[in-house]
Amino acid sequence: MNEMTLRFLSNPVNEPFARTSIVAFLMPLNPSVEEIMEIKTMIAEAVTNAMIHGYEGHEDGWIEIKAVYDEAGILDLTIKDEGCGIEDIELAMQPLYTSKAYLERSGMGMTIMDTFADDFKVNSSEGNGCIVQMRKQLHGQTEPAH
Amino acid sequence: MKHQMIGNTLYFYFYGDFDNLAVQRIKETCIQLIDHFEPSAVKMDFEEVSFIDSTGIGFVLARYKQLKKLGSELILCNLSRANQTLFHMSGIFQIISYERSGVKL
Repeated sequence: MNEMTLRFLSNPVNEPFARTSIVAFLMPLNPSVEEIMEIKTMIAEAVTNAMIHGYEGHEDGWIEIKAVYDEAGILDLTIKDEGCGIEDIELAMQPLYTSKAYLERSGMGMTIMDTFADDFKVNSSEGNGCIVQMRKQLHGQTEPAH
Repeated sequence: MKHQMIGNTLYFYFYGDFDNLAVQRIKETCIQLIDHFEPSAVKMDFEEVSFIDSTGIGFVLARYKQLKKLGSELILCNLSRANQTLFHMSGIFQIISYERSGVKL
């Protein structure tokens, strides 16, 4: 078992930092190129949601990512914010639904996380922040890299 | 981001990460270039894009709507397999066409 926690401010410059940091932590699992891409995207979606929706663009909120993996290559990611929360999670989960169309959001973030994760949970209520939990089984590279 | 106008077609070339941070930085420029040139078609080249997320999809859909008002067409070009997967998820290819384009800067 291995575990890390990353805590950073909701400044947009920190999102690429967050996804590349988590992926770097997973290197001992020798993830495939496809798995790396999927994990990066899952984190980008969750963190961007926290920044844009949770903290509504304010750059002084805290976002925390916990990454845990075990010997079997099962990865558990938890992304937590203390922002405004989600009033209607079912509605937020609808593909192409967005509360921020004027910001040119696609409404695809939740769908993408749900697709790339084996298990995807969102725990939130209005005014109480948001916790996103994603589980993914990593298989690693089938052949050694040349 | 780079661009060029050939005939009535405006070409955009994107590089590296096409994430929330990158889109925030180029969005206004793209809007203004389209309004300035009023091209009959815009081709967005993603060949050099290594990462894309739902913010990128939102940007593409918004430019599609902007162009539709001008009666113009949007064409996506040179998406990697991984990037295509993401766009497919959104059903974007039902309304926006895709091609391999050899027109470079």
